[in-house]
Amino acid sequence: MKIERYDMIVIGAGPAGLSAAIEAAKKGLKPIVFDENARPGGQLFKQIHKFFGSKEHKAKVRGFKIGEELLEEAEEYGVEVILNATVVGLYPEKEVTVKIGDKVKHYKGDAILVATGASENMVNFEGWTKPGVIGAGAAQTMMNLHHIKPGNRILMLGSGNVGLVVSYQLMQAGCEVVALADAAPRVGGYGVHAAKVARCGVPFYLSHTIVKVEGDECVTGVVIGQVGPDWKVIPGTEKHFDVDTVCLAVGLSPMSQLLKQAEVKMNDTKGGHVPECDKHGATSVPGIYAAGDVSGIEEASSAMIEGRMSGTAIACYLGYMTEEERDSRIDELEKQLDTLRQGMFAPKNRGKLVEKTDEGIDVSMNLLNKGFVTDDEIERFPGVTHQKGIHPVIECTQNIPCNPCQDACKMGCIRIGENITSLPAIDPEKKCIGCGMCVASCSGQSIFLVEEDVEEGYGEVTMPYEFLPVPEVGDRGVALGRNGQYVCDAEVTKVRIAPAFDHTYLLTIKVPNDMVMRARFYKKEA
Amino acid sequence: MVDIQAKLKEIGPFVEEPDDDLLVCRCEEVTKGQIRKAVHEGIFTLEEMRRYLRSGMGLCQGQTCGKLVKSIIASELKVSPAEVVPASSRAPMRPIEMCILAEDGGGCDE
Repeated sequence: MKIERYDMIVIGAGPAGLSAAIEAAKKGLKPIVFDENARPGGQLFKQIHKFFGSKEHKAKVRGFKIGEELLEEAEEYGVEVILNATVVGLYPEKEVTVKIGDKVKHYKGDAILVATGASENMVNFEGWTKPGVIGAGAAQTMMNLHHIKPGNRILMLGSGNVGLVVSYQLMQAGCEVVALADAAPRVGGYGVHAAKVARCGVPFYLSHTIVKVEGDECVTGVVIGQVGPDWKVIPGTEKHFDVDTVCLAVGLSPMSQLLKQAEVKMNDTKGGHVPECDKHGATSVPGIYAAGDVSGIEEASSAMIEGRMSGTAIACYLGYMTEEERDSRIDELEKQLDTLRQGMFAPKNRGKLVEKTDEGIDVSMNLLNKGFVTDDEIERFPGVTHQKGIHPVIECTQNIPCNPCQDACKMGCIRIGENITSLPAIDPEKKCIGCGMCVASCSGQSIFLVEEDVEEGYGEVTMPYEFLPVPEVGDRGVALGRNGQYVCDAEVTKVRIAPAFDHTYLLTIKVPNDMVMRARFYKKEA
Repeated sequence: MVDIQAKLKEIGPFVEEPDDDLLVCRCEEVTKGQIRKAVHEGIFTLEEMRRYLRSGMGLCQGQTCGKLVKSIIASELKVSPAEVVPASSRAPMRPIEMCILAEDGGGCDE
């Protein structure tokens, strides 16, 4: 039996695995990466939205672009990636068995990194096995990789970032999202993601779960109902929707079975079965490391940093760098990771109700319960000001690690400061020139340009727009409020696109003066 | 070591519920009722459940239903899911054709 030897074997070519391999290859190691999929990049290539974070963390870059950059870097450093290669076994002696084609091949690594990611959770209810009930990840695969519309009328279960982002993408793909439900009493994901879904007219049903899915051959309808404190549906609260697809985004679980098989010490946590790791990702078995979602669910940006930390640790473990070199690199990476783990959605705040922002402002409860900030509530945030002439209105109301808007404004109108989770504030002394760079740079699509008295009694609102077909100047339609309801008639007066906007169109609509603070979405009349 | 008889006495007899015919493991077509009933027959761990009913032994290897089966066992035993002993992990981690597995290690003829 032939066994091939490598310095470093990486299982999983997603953000964590590739980053680790690149980091190690930079130090002279020859890593090999196995992935069971036909394409590398893990979930990154399904992510068509702009990422949050700071400039250094590739904020405002779309996920699939980050994936492309990662692949280019991997190639540059000679990282060997074997695709369609399913790892079927991992043993404490650091031996790996891999199914490639119709053969099982054996490899031995001086170090092994498990970066297998996570899989989607399921919930079951009457009819959950009918064709048309799909995971949110499956919906993304269909839309964003294969360009197939998953359905026409969809109900989304789950208000975490996955549920919110995928709901928006479903609408971008031309599907109608009839409702978004979640058994939890509050929206789980970023408020800005919820707000951009809500303003399109999607009703949010918090404290609601699926009672049953209807249909003989496939899904034709769904019934949801309100849950009581015991998580059971309260009789009489059932609501029916005609849908052909039910999309589930009810969390992820680490795919950590290989680690367990390798006799790594595991912990059974609320977030799944995870390996016990030190801050470098080293498990209890010397030479076996874990990084990314497999060691605890987070998101792609932190997975990439964790991967780089493990790659560094492995390079040191195998003698390719000194401990001092390792520690200084790890320190640098740890700082980056810390920034991403700040704010209201930091791991330490998981499941907690944060009622005030760091600035001491009351968090919008409507945002948490219905997905949008009301017209009254929005006024109390520092990004919202009333000025003569054109100016940005920043509807960013939660402390999340993101700051591209600050740099986007060359005039210095937008201030976040040192702490990247601070709410963006408007400096009224600085003059906005209406360039719209802030609007396009906001990954949360929460910045609008507002100007009153463009003509007698009418003002203009400029909004980010990412739907096709792109409206044309002169189009008449309706303006929707933050809650997705009709506020007034609107006329498209400007449509702007530039390479720097990265596919986000800037749509300007003309509305009555008293509607400039209310109109937040444009729809061509049905 | 769990005293199975004592635990069975503690949790009381199996009582039918309206959603007992709900499929939980779709690969091996195991229902919620079957799993609940198995608990009352002394099956308290995921490992035993896999062997007893084949739940989690199909194509997806319990990736879909593992958590669900765990929570059903837990609620039947009136404990938290973290207290239910998980199944062990062993190769092959992914479904693999017998002919490929048989060839592993140099082929059957050698």
